[in-house]
Amino acid sequence: SLSAEKPHVPFFFCGTKTEALHWSARPRSRPAPTEEARSTASVASSCYSTSLQSTTTRVSFLSPSRSLPRALPHTSRREVSFNVQDSEDFTERVINSELPVLVDFHAQWCGPCKILGPRLEKAVAKQKGRVAMAKVDIDDHTDLAIEYGVSAVPTVIAMRGGDVVDHFVGIKDDDELDSFVSKVIGQ
Amino acid sequence: MGSSFHTAIFCDKSSKITFRLLFAQTEIHTYSVFLFYGSMTRIPLAGSQGKYDYDLLVIGGGSGGLACSKEGECIVLCVTGTKWGLGGTCVNVGCIPKKLMHQAALLGTAVKDAKKYGWQIPDTISHDWPTMAEAVQNHVKSLNWGHRVQLQDKKVKYMNLKGSLVDEHTVRGLSKAGKETVLTAKNIVIATGGRPKYPTNIPGAAEHGITNVALECAGFLKGIGLDTTVMVRSIALRGFDQQMASLVTDYMEAHGTRFAWKSVPNRVDKLSSGALQVTWTDTQTGSEHKDTFDSVLWAVGRAPETKALGLDKLGVQLNKETGKIVVGPDESTSVPNIYAFGDIGEGRPELTPTAIKAGKLLAHRLAGQSTELMNYDNVPTTVFTPLEYSCVGLSEEEAEKRHGKDGIEIYHAFYKPLEFTVAERDASQCYIKVVCEQGGNGKILGLHFTGPNAGEVAQGFAMGFQCGATYSHLIQTVGIHPTCAEEVVKVHITKRSGLDATVTGCS
Repeated sequence: SLSAEKPHVPFFFCGTKTEALHWSARPRSRPAPTEEARSTASVASSCYSTSLQSTTTRVSFLSPSRSLPRALPHTSRREVSFNVQDSEDFTERVINSELPVLVDFHAQWCGPCKILGPRLEKAVAKQKGRVAMAKVDIDDHTDLAIEYGVSAVPTVIAMRGGDVVDHFVGIKDDDELDSFVSKVIGQ
Repeated sequence: MGSSFHTAIFCDKSSKITFRLLFAQTEIHTYSVFLFYGSMTRIPLAGSQGKYDYDLLVIGGGSGGLACSKEGECIVLCVTGTKWGLGGTCVNVGCIPKKLMHQAALLGTAVKDAKKYGWQIPDTISHDWPTMAEAVQNHVKSLNWGHRVQLQDKKVKYMNLKGSLVDEHTVRGLSKAGKETVLTAKNIVIATGGRPKYPTNIPGAAEHGITNVALECAGFLKGIGLDTTVMVRSIALRGFDQQMASLVTDYMEAHGTRFAWKSVPNRVDKLSSGALQVTWTDTQTGSEHKDTFDSVLWAVGRAPETKALGLDKLGVQLNKETGKIVVGPDESTSVPNIYAFGDIGEGRPELTPTAIKAGKLLAHRLAGQSTELMNYDNVPTTVFTPLEYSCVGLSEEEAEKRHGKDGIEIYHAFYKPLEFTVAERDASQCYIKVVCEQGGNGKILGLHFTGPNAGEVAQGFAMGFQCGATYSHLIQTVGIHPTCAEEVVKVHITKRSGLDATVTGCS
């Protein structure tokens, strides 16, 4: 059975991925997680171990630092949906992406993730190249997941211009996903 | 060491067992190192600032180590050098997968019982090992992740290094890639637990009895349909009440598990067919036996890997027989600023809840917040064999030793769970024993229960035990009906009377 904890709001850490974690005091005027985001992260829709106590709900949105712009011109990648290979890959294809990117933090052992994944792909495909989707397996890329404050999975973070603009935890249905994605693109 | 398998169970040649899926851990070193970083946020810690990198360094990422580090008030650094995810023995290869597989076996029995209750179920049902293994491993991985998140939430920095002691204030951490990191700390806590012992030479292997681990494993393997044989050198469940232990093994034997009592293995040979041939001697008759199996698992005890920790160099006193660290009531070792607790402590119960509690209390003491010591008395425990057995307090043997046969009064009862009636199941080994002091209100010295959900039944009684419950308290308690647990508060036949202790009817 899944723990009956409150919807978890990820807490974002600043700092480059290679350094030891440290706290950043860089507040941004970004929207706080919406009530919608909280209410959809219901018990049955996300994976969390039952042996854990609920984490406190923190609301600040500290965005990750940008890395330096690439020295070389990059060949434009047409993949709309891809698996993140490592932190450099994440920097290049997510943070430095010209498109808005949805980052799908998931795990092999997570049932709801297997439901959300295809739905998200479908919602992204509908946008015909206006938004990209980066998939991050949290066991393969634990540091990255921890850095973005991922707690329960699935967690989806929307990034635009290297900044986090929105997120949600747990499963959403097709209509909810479509409106989420539209909002991220700015329609 | 660095063994692949955990249990000495011999499986029939006709069984297909892919035990590797769960127990093939080929790594040897699994250490986590946690460090408390002094005075970054709140209370300045008792002790030095600036002389060492950290005030406290914990080596070990299991039940004990995690609890200790998460209890730290300051920024804590956590370092592990393990192939397992966080959580230690309990999460990865112990309590958690054990209980889940035990449940898998119980469900198999329940499905068969269901027919008697009217469910239309096909005559033959089979079990698919890979499905179960994947499900169990998925849960284990979710726990690994959960612990990682908790460390993050508690501001514990996490690094992946194998720790060993250089001197009493210095730990060397080795990364998988071979990179070295040196860390110094005022206090060092060792909570690295144990690893399975592998018989180094099978002829004349070290004297060890069968632990609950072996019986539990044999139990669920048989429960999911694999033919299982258990070889016992001397007695089962050493350290536990022996009458209760024999009820547990009687039940297993009655349900198809084979036991080779008072036998020792001589050799294990691999045949050309790939099967394993085991040769053993029945020490009672002296005769030699041979049989073939698909898998051989050793469950001859666990021991800490103190050599890899470098403890001998530091003069940390170990128990020569067990290899465990000799510890004081405050978890201190022979070296002043080094502490040890959990499975690695000599004489400590090899249980998760005691390790967690001891770890938390130790963290508080070292931070100067309290002086409370861990109370290792009255620890309840459960053996999750097919017929579960739970107990709190003394065994009958131990109570007799301490108080004399005339100093104790034993109340007992054989009962039948209501659920067994329709299912036509044999309840001969369902039994309750309450060992009390003779005279006065009859303080309860030990409480023993075999039956379904024994762990759930005993937890509440453990609290009563903790409060110093007496026989008089017990019989004043009204039972909940119909349950198995109510039979505990209804015990009234003494062993001394010699009367038949079988419960009949509802009285």
